[in-house]
Amino acid sequence: MKQETNKYQFAQLEIYKESLELAHLKRKTKIFMSLVFILAGIVLYFLLQISASNDTVISIMTMFLVLLAINVAFYSYDDDLYNNLKIAMYISTLGVYVIAVSLILQFQSPSIFTSLFLAYAITSIFQEYKTMILSNFALFISGILLVLRFPEIFQIVGTNESQTFFILVFLIIFVLLLTLSSYILIKRKTFFYNQLADIKESEVRNMELLLEIENIKTNSHLDVKEYYETLNKFSVELSKKIGIENVFQRKIELLKDLKNKKIDDILLKYTEYNIDEINEIKYMELEVRKKMIMIGIKASKSHGIEVSRKEIFSESQFKSFKHFGDAHYVKIISFVVFYTLLKLDKPYLPALEEERVKDILLNSEYFYRIDREIIDVYLENNMVFDTIVKDHMKGGR
Amino acid sequence: MKAIINRILNSEFLTFNEVLRLKVAIVTVFLFVFVFLSIPLSNFNDFTFNINIVVPAVFSLLLIFTLLLMLFNLNRWAMHLSIITISLLTAYYVGGSNHFYGYMLFFVTLTVIIFYQDVITYLLYGGAITAYGVFYIIENGASIVGINSTGVEMSSITYQIILVGFYLVFLVQFIISDSIYEKMNNEWVRMNKVLEKYQDFSLEFLIEIADEKEQDLIYKNHKFQQTVSEISVFINEFFEEDGDNIAEFVEFYFFLHDQNLEEIITDKTVSALTRKYSIEFQKYLLNTRSELVSILFNFSTLFQKDDEYEEKRYEYDLDKLFTNKIDKLLSLAILYKYLKTEITQYDKWGKIEKVLSHEEITELFVSKEFREFISFEQVNFYLDNQELFDKYL
Repeated sequence: MKQETNKYQFAQLEIYKESLELAHLKRKTKIFMSLVFILAGIVLYFLLQISASNDTVISIMTMFLVLLAINVAFYSYDDDLYNNLKIAMYISTLGVYVIAVSLILQFQSPSIFTSLFLAYAITSIFQEYKTMILSNFALFISGILLVLRFPEIFQIVGTNESQTFFILVFLIIFVLLLTLSSYILIKRKTFFYNQLADIKESEVRNMELLLEIENIKTNSHLDVKEYYETLNKFSVELSKKIGIENVFQRKIELLKDLKNKKIDDILLKYTEYNIDEINEIKYMELEVRKKMIMIGIKASKSHGIEVSRKEIFSESQFKSFKHFGDAHYVKIISFVVFYTLLKLDKPYLPALEEERVKDILLNSEYFYRIDREIIDVYLENNMVFDTIVKDHMKGGR
Repeated sequence: MKAIINRILNSEFLTFNEVLRLKVAIVTVFLFVFVFLSIPLSNFNDFTFNINIVVPAVFSLLLIFTLLLMLFNLNRWAMHLSIITISLLTAYYVGGSNHFYGYMLFFVTLTVIIFYQDVITYLLYGGAITAYGVFYIIENGASIVGINSTGVEMSSITYQIILVGFYLVFLVQFIISDSIYEKMNNEWVRMNKVLEKYQDFSLEFLIEIADEKEQDLIYKNHKFQQTVSEISVFINEFFEEDGDNIAEFVEFYFFLHDQNLEEIITDKTVSALTRKYSIEFQKYLLNTRSELVSILFNFSTLFQKDDEYEEKRYEYDLDKLFTNKIDKLLSLAILYKYLKTEITQYDKWGKIEKVLSHEEITELFVSKEFREFISFEQVNFYLDNQELFDKYL
């Protein structure tokens, strides 16, 4: 069965993830530039120590300067900064390798060959998929080509033994290990961006769910009319107290109109506000939009929450049916209870059809919350599960 | 091998322990390659024939021991042993002969340590390996000087600076990655707790709905219990010959719903097995906001309609949500009104019946954690005019 793990991912995730990543990308770009700057200083020192020719010093230093200038330019250009920084990152990755290979070809010694590894380390700061692929590829290709095309680089004083094969093997192993290492690391980091974005969306949805269940329980809705009337009285008294004209009243009137009037009519009636201002005022509207209600719910529940360091790195924070150390029976029973509940009507969610349950369990993150052996049994025998539920729950609860 | 590749491809969904286990498995595969390579390479070594035979054998034993540790789920110990093994291998390679490929192993060893992504391990083992590498170059640098090098000293310094640079750059990477990771994790755990609070309330409402309708709660329903039991037995038949054993545990699971779990868990007279299962089942009970209940609520949010994303969708700070001063004050008044009018708290009997009083709201507004919602400026405005808030909202 082919999995589509993103099939049930919240649609809002990607855009928010980008904004999360951007903040980190800016920081990493700054660190990268600092490292390149330090490296340039060290290389300059060496070039002066060995009394390298002016041409060599100028050409190598120019490469460093160009690399830094590209980064500064992309960083400064504010429009679509996320993609700008990504492009700068790819150029920087290749740029660092170009400088390393130039140094190796210039000095042709085994000691300078290791600058390729340093280039890899510097580019690893970015911790990003495409950069990782680019960096590993650059390291592999440049390393192999240098070993095969310029074996004299590795000639050691006082020995004639050829090391080419072993250097090649070690290089391959090194690159493979680095690739796997960065692959796993980046996957987990990306997963965390995902998790964080996911939980932000999940919060909105859980508040909506709470509102929905509360409405079923109380069968009542927010008394919006009373809210606006009270706000009006409050604004009159407040204006009196602070000695200003009642600037709130017009906005409260606008808030009331937002429910029934189209935006064009609003703009015609409230000529003192432009579209951006009206869009902002919309957040306060209580009947159609729920932003202020969400803020109220969150504000009423967020106090008294403390997070200890122990909890930060605890795997128990990940809710699942396959906790490390739990007995197999517990893993089975917990999953079965969950599955059976999905098949029953609940006030907030009707019973799900078998096909739907199977599709979600296969193509969403829930697949990974269930023990692999157990989910495999389910996926291969889901119709049996369905039949058992139907047989027992016939005629409702 | 297919299983390992699958696990690598889905490594983000593994638990910390599973990832560590996977990493040890990968490193062990690479270490086997190095140990295997040490046999042909022994031709270049200055060691005696016996040493060249005994050493690979000892390394193989170390690797087998690593695998055994993994088998017993002692993954952290296995990680340490694998690092020690590669460090010893490096010492063996660079000690036996003076070849450039031997020197490359310092970088490979550092990479293995980096692979484990543990800052303390990197500082200790990585620091030791780097120090050993520098010492090795100081002592034997002359033996790996290239024929084109400008001199022993320059070659030696280049080797040292690049090795130390490699170590330091990865250390910087560790620090950045750790701080990002910790910050994200912290926020994630905090948000998880907030979510749990919403879910506590949702569950309480559901219990009250069932109470009002005089409906049995689902875990008390016999049909439901039988369904769970039968499916569990069915699954268990794939793993045990006598699949029925699990039925007793299903019964125990439902039995726990009517018990004081804390008493069972802390009662030393109760058998260890009963307490163990009580602790494990606690996470999945249905009469409290357990993990299972949270997962179920989260699952149900998949069926909500998808609102369009807007820039401030996850913004709850009134100061950031609004740019206009009047809007900021008006929204503060709405927030106050909401907290004072709507039922958002448990009363002393554990029912959701309570609204916040003016004093409680004031306490909230001035609290440090409330800066997430309103600014100092807004708090000051509120404090200056709180009698109006209290009287008219």
